[in-house]
Amino acid sequence: MSDNKKVQRPPAEVRFADELARLRESDTAHRPPGWALSLQGARRFIVGDPRAGITRKFVGDPSLIDRALVTLATTRGLMLVGEPGTAKSLLSELIAAAVCGESTLTIQGGAATTEDQIKYSWNYALLVAEGPSPRSLVPAPMLRGMAEGKVVRFEEITRCPLEVQDCMLSLLSERVVAIPELTGPDGMVFANDGFTVIATANTRDRGVNEMSAALKRRFNFETVFPIADLATELDLVEQESRTLLERSGVGVQPRRDVLEVLVTTFRELRDGVTSSGQPMDRLTTVMSTAEAVSVAHAVGLRGWFLRGEAGTPADLVECLAGTAAKDNPDDLARLRRYLEQQASRRKGAQWQALHQARHLLPG
Amino acid sequence: MATTFVGGRHHSPACARLVAETIEALRPAHVLVEGPVDMNDRLDELLLGHEPPIAVYTYYRDEERSHASWTPFCDYSPEWVALAAGRACGARVRFIDLPAWHPAFTGRGNRYADAEARYTEVTGRLCREFAVDNTDVLWDHLFEVEPADGLADRLTAYFDLLRGEATTEHADVEREAYMASWVRAAQADAGDRPVVVVTGGFHTPALRVLAAGAEPGWPEVPRPPQDAVGASYLVPYSFRRLDAFTGYQSGMPSPEYYQHLWEDGVAGAAEALVASVVGRLRGRRQPVSTADLIAARTLAQGLARLRGHADPSRTDVLDGLVGALVSEDLSQPPPWTVRGPLRPGAHPAVVEMVAALSGDRVGALHPDTPAPPLVAAVTAELLALGLDGSGEVDLDLADDLGLRRGRTLHRLRVLGIVGFDRLAGPTGGGDPVFTERWRLTPSDRRLPALIEAAVHGATLEEAAGAALRGRVEDAPVDRLAEVLFDAALCGVTALSDDVVTALTTRVGAVADVAELGRVLVVVVGLWRYDGLFGTAGSPVLGAVISGAVTRVLWLVEGLHGGPAPADHRRLLALSATRDAVRHAESVLATGRGEAVAVLGRVAADPQAPPDLRGAAFGFCWSLGGGADVVRAVRGMSGPRTIGDWLAGLFAVAREEVLSADAVIMLLDELVHALSEEDFLVALPALRQAFAYFPPAERETIAKRVLVARGTGGSARELLRIDVDPVVVAEGMALEAKVDAVLAREGLA
Repeated sequence: MSDNKKVQRPPAEVRFADELARLRESDTAHRPPGWALSLQGARRFIVGDPRAGITRKFVGDPSLIDRALVTLATTRGLMLVGEPGTAKSLLSELIAAAVCGESTLTIQGGAATTEDQIKYSWNYALLVAEGPSPRSLVPAPMLRGMAEGKVVRFEEITRCPLEVQDCMLSLLSERVVAIPELTGPDGMVFANDGFTVIATANTRDRGVNEMSAALKRRFNFETVFPIADLATELDLVEQESRTLLERSGVGVQPRRDVLEVLVTTFRELRDGVTSSGQPMDRLTTVMSTAEAVSVAHAVGLRGWFLRGEAGTPADLVECLAGTAAKDNPDDLARLRRYLEQQASRRKGAQWQALHQARHLLPG
Repeated sequence: MATTFVGGRHHSPACARLVAETIEALRPAHVLVEGPVDMNDRLDELLLGHEPPIAVYTYYRDEERSHASWTPFCDYSPEWVALAAGRACGARVRFIDLPAWHPAFTGRGNRYADAEARYTEVTGRLCREFAVDNTDVLWDHLFEVEPADGLADRLTAYFDLLRGEATTEHADVEREAYMASWVRAAQADAGDRPVVVVTGGFHTPALRVLAAGAEPGWPEVPRPPQDAVGASYLVPYSFRRLDAFTGYQSGMPSPEYYQHLWEDGVAGAAEALVASVVGRLRGRRQPVSTADLIAARTLAQGLARLRGHADPSRTDVLDGLVGALVSEDLSQPPPWTVRGPLRPGAHPAVVEMVAALSGDRVGALHPDTPAPPLVAAVTAELLALGLDGSGEVDLDLADDLGLRRGRTLHRLRVLGIVGFDRLAGPTGGGDPVFTERWRLTPSDRRLPALIEAAVHGATLEEAAGAALRGRVEDAPVDRLAEVLFDAALCGVTALSDDVVTALTTRVGAVADVAELGRVLVVVVGLWRYDGLFGTAGSPVLGAVISGAVTRVLWLVEGLHGGPAPADHRRLLALSATRDAVRHAESVLATGRGEAVAVLGRVAADPQAPPDLRGAAFGFCWSLGGGADVVRAVRGMSGPRTIGDWLAGLFAVAREEVLSADAVIMLLDELVHALSEEDFLVALPALRQAFAYFPPAERETIAKRVLVARGTGGSARELLRIDVDPVVVAEGMALEAKVDAVLAREGLA
């Protein structure tokens, strides 16, 4: 961490360290116990405050941030649900960085997640040499979060087996971890002020239905939706893809008209409605903003490294086949129909170029 | 001379309070209110003592356009409050905006929509600045939940900012110029006494500039053109309708909430909202626990504190409730964050929240309020025909009185007047049902619906006729048959030439044979038989028949495809076309000869699907095309095609098949010659094909087969099998499999 230039993606508290420091200095409002910022300060950190030089970091309804922060100030956990690619993890990272100044206490949920990775495990060499002692204990994020009064992030909680999810139950309601191997005061680790949990779950992979009712009750659910309007999404895709392209050493800016075609295509295939309100087929694949950014990135890379320019709708078609259709032949057919029937009707040189390039789709 | 402009948002309790206070404090000579200037002579009518919500409903029709719009008032509308407060302090109260029929209001259904909704750029920026979701939340934040001090200044600053950056539409400019002329006249008339002007805040900055100076003489009230029909009437309104305006028509949402805000203040409204949501959810047996309520209240209080509100605002409460009550993912953003109606499939808690915000309050008019002539005409007609009661009514349509009563009821139904439901009756042309059963349920929604139906005419017959003509022009093709049948039921037979042209053009553009078929079945039935409703031989229906037949012939030749299960709807279309050619040839533009030629080509086209070929063959045969049926059947005798081909043939030419012994014998021979395996392949389609014969005719066929084979026995017995044919078929398939295994192992 000493040399940030080598880190591909530093955590939010490092990326926005000076903004956080400035907010902390100027923050005079009342802070909930254990919080690094007040609610108002945390909100400004996320939704932005141009006059104070705080950038907007999350595009979405401001009321969502309000609800999320107030939830964390109560004793319930926060559960962010939504389609993949709606920036749930980014939001949880930002909130954690704002609330406790640290976003790295993270459990990545998956089929192989065990209780050890959630609560604690042992340094077995020390355990054998010295017996159980605080020294041989290896704390996992939940234990650290509780002891230090920090926010713990639990990513993709619904991908964990039910029994592993359920070990969160007592932690969230009793707010204490019992370590039976240790004796005396070390045997019980109580949660300090500021401890709370932000979990994320996506609605595509394995539905949230598989969470037990008892665990659901300990969380407030917040659904994160795809960005509602074209202009905002376009701005975001442009800004993000520009950053990515710069980092990849591409010497030109992405073209706005190509990006507009890209974002419109993504939105229409995602919602199953054209911008003029006609219904059409929607793809089964996830067409998220994050995917749009990665396609924009790929288009830029192709254009620059293959031909030394910014990328054309033909590149877009080639990239779409991989992202949008993946290995699903039905989606590929839908995409082809979209390029044939919808793209041809739109005005603008880029749309026509997209239509012309439709034969580049495989199959 | 001092003029005070109170510019606010329509249906805003905070602005209404400000209006009342301003008028009371200034006691002005004139109160000028944004509203239809042609209602000025009828202000007494508005102040009779109605129970809001009510609305002024205006309809207008001339040669070029027709238009209907509403000017809604609630208890807490600034305009409504201005009328009452102005009268109470002895001021001269006037509406000063253009009439609702004026071209400046074209396309506007709601006079009191938010003008600023059309200028989203500025409001979008303000929302970002205050970090709120949309303008409704911003409005609550800035005006409704804030203490009243300095409200006037805040409003001025807000609307100056909005107006300062927006480029104005022509319609707004026209209205503002007219309103300003009234303000100038009032200023001249008032002399030293104050004038109060109550308008939408979006217009205030412009009015302030335009109204500088005094100009004696009241402006003229615009009159509609001579040939136009139009009028304004008061109608009872409902919160649900007020909340149903969307897009550019929308105003303040959530009327029930603001009614509470007007009556009980911010804290009271929040309490009432929670109580209403919880009551509704529990009424629907959705669990809401005390723990949930505590969580909801904690969240709402926390949100209010975070957002700087002394008491929880509308969205603080809603956000709190949604956080506490919803414990799964939502399928769409909560409607109060995005401005717009709820789509189907929303979470039940959210549905109840939206319903609680809207409320179901319905206004009531004072009994002395004048009503349009249609209302009196309908009341008299219902009375005369004994239909003014409630309960079920049976009608005999063959009887003159029964027919008249039926027509009246159908006309009311077509106009969408609530409480007239038909339970049973004829369902299409040629339906041999001559009785109808209706259920009459009086409702308080009848009067507003009747007043609004007055746009179509002064008597029931005229209104229903106009409404149906409108529907003929707008109906999608699959509903067209229904509309034409409704016209017959209502006794509306004369439709003008342009309607006929519109109809034929519409029919000529349909791309689906099956849809055309549905239209044809109904219309041919009505054209042929309906002496009852007087539609037999009607030239309008004749034109539709002609157009549809031409179109079917055009489409049918382009239908290509390999073997596929028979499409029953498509076959019906061909059968209806055949009926049209056979019985209504006199009205057809495409004659019998052309029709037979087209379908002869289809029957011979190897690219066409088998069911269509069969039907096309039957078409020619039944119209005397002189085809060799035995040869045709032999030509299609493959196990994969024979069943579907026959389905087509039987659908169109059932009678002809019955009278041609050779065909039945040939079919017997073909089926008999099928191998076991082929028979199983052909069986489902064959069964479907023979289903076109009613049981008695199937028995006739069976008899002939028995006779031809020389075996005795009862034909009826042959048709009545104890075992499900599916089981038989499965048994045969199993046997075939066993045989195959035996053969493979050399044991056969």
